[in-house]
Amino acid sequence: MSAFLSVDAISKTFTVGKQTLSALGRISIEIERTEFVAVLGPSGCGKSTLLQIIAGLIPPTSGRVMLDGKAVTAPPRDMVYLFQQYNKSLFPWRTVLDNVAFPLEIQGNSSGRSVRQRCLEYIAMVGLSGSEDQYPWQLSGGMQQRAAIARALAAEPSVLLMDEPFSAVDALTKLELQTLLLDIWAKHRLTVVLVTHDVDEAVFMADRVAMLSARPSTIASVTDIALPRPRDTIATRESASFLSLRHGLLDTLLKKDRPGPTPDEVRVTMDGAAHG
Amino acid sequence: MAVEVGRLLSVPDTVGTARWFGRLRFPILRTRVTGFALVVALLLLWECSARLGWMVSQNWPPFSLVLTATWRGLWSGELAAPLAASMARMVSGYLIGSSCGIVLGLLLGTVRVLDRFVTPLIEALRPLPLPALVPPLILFLGLDDALKIFVVAFAVVFPVVVSTVGGVRDIDEVLIGTARTFGASRARTLLRVVLPAAMPSICAGLRISLSLALVTTVVAEMIAGSSGIGYTILQAQYGLRPEEMYAAVLCIAVVGYLLNMGFVLLERRILRWHQRADADV
Ligand SMILES: Nc1ncnc2c1ncn2[C@@H]1O[C@H](COP(=O)(O)OP(=O)(O)OP(=O)(O)O)[C@@H](O)[C@H]1O
Ligand SMILES: [Mg+2]
Repeated sequence: MSAFLSVDAISKTFTVGKQTLSALGRISIEIERTEFVAVLGPSGCGKSTLLQIIAGLIPPTSGRVMLDGKAVTAPPRDMVYLFQQYNKSLFPWRTVLDNVAFPLEIQGNSSGRSVRQRCLEYIAMVGLSGSEDQYPWQLSGGMQQRAAIARALAAEPSVLLMDEPFSAVDALTKLELQTLLLDIWAKHRLTVVLVTHDVDEAVFMADRVAMLSARPSTIASVTDIALPRPRDTIATRESASFLSLRHGLLDTLLKKDRPGPTPDEVRVTMDGAAHG
Repeated sequence: MAVEVGRLLSVPDTVGTARWFGRLRFPILRTRVTGFALVVALLLLWECSARLGWMVSQNWPPFSLVLTATWRGLWSGELAAPLAASMARMVSGYLIGSSCGIVLGLLLGTVRVLDRFVTPLIEALRPLPLPALVPPLILFLGLDDALKIFVVAFAVVFPVVVSTVGGVRDIDEVLIGTARTFGASRARTLLRVVLPAAMPSICAGLRISLSLALVTTVVAEMIAGSSGIGYTILQAQYGLRPEEMYAAVLCIAVVGYLLNMGFVLLERRILRWHQRADADV
């Protein structure tokens, strides 16, 4: 009996013209139903690529993804991928309400209560009530992200794949959204794979944290996060076990970077110096 | 108070559009009235130049006579009938051409194989001057409506195809990916995501081709056949009836203006989502 969501020896090589770029080495991980897994990794190591392969949006070069015993070859109905660029993923010609209604239209899922009623519930769930008739560009970044989450929930998925969902919102909104997402995860018994480069966020939210190495990335380590739930924005972060887990992960991340930076990192540093 | 200061200094509510550079500080100059004032002034100049003999010519009647000729022509049907015939051709050609253009553009923008096969052909046909096409086409389509509708549709199709393809190509892959992750089929994605996302660009093409359609209709009527407003202009010229000639031109100008205005209103409704808040227009 294999896991609910299993990633089996996935690798991905991009070919652009004559150049090839090996983004993912062999990546394998098994994820149980209702588990919350965070994926940590340095910028450009292939986190988005991995998540999009799991989502069935791009094919792997080798290996396969299995969801509930079936191979994923196209986006499965009960799995939704939330793009890293959430502001670009909202349909600008649709209001918040119509954006949230999109998955229902696609699924032809208009039985029972009216579509409008159901959409309003999802909008309320993410705290966007009152903004349902606004267009995405009338919303702040944090509100756009809430709208994107509401739309993903409207598809009633069992798996939510989130790509750095809070990296572009302000620090306070980020804390709010993290708690909101944990509530929704618990209430809907979702399986979540969350990509992030924020160690704090990964430890705070996840059951397990998988750390990727630099390109071609493989899973460097998997850490169990045995913090009690429900987790509290402030108290959990101050607990000794939280701090020691965070310490351990940060240590591994930084140690890997210390000896001999990769060419990418050198470029980033130089850019930073040029701008600063 | 803050609002009033903003008004006086002409500070836009938005961070700024390209128009900011040329923005004047006199709100009155930014109303529609200013545009009309220039037209009225030019027409007055026309009237005076003819009445006061600033311009002495058999073929330069005062504007007031042109107006009465227009009035007469519209009531008697001498102008109204050809105008109606021209409009019917133009509208048929425009509708056929623009719907073909949108469908073709969506296909070319999404199906790469088709793009490779068809685009060179389109690029070869596009620069053809339409009047050059009319004489050979007469041999196949005759002199009547079929010819003119075809020519108008032909003129309309290219700008619409080009702008549709451009709009489709510019669609962010994130939008398409979003449709896919929700399980949308290809057809659904095309209709519910690609089409609306490309709409601003498509509308730009539709608007260019609207004036193109009017021009093409009149030119085609001047080259071939014996009806329509283009033909009326030629007849009035040959018959040395300048009032009637200008009356027909005036009708075309007004129709062109009204069509464009109607289009803008329609576009505003369709692309309501695309208008950012620019309170200072
Ligand atoms: N379609 C593509 N064609 C070619 N190379 C690509 C493509 N998509 C991604 N890559 C490359 O693969 C590598 C991994 O990209 P990816 O977006 O998955 O990284 P990431 O870990 O999500 O980065 P970030 O933290 O910045 O979001 C990068 O070097 C990127 O340039
Ligand atoms: Mg990424």
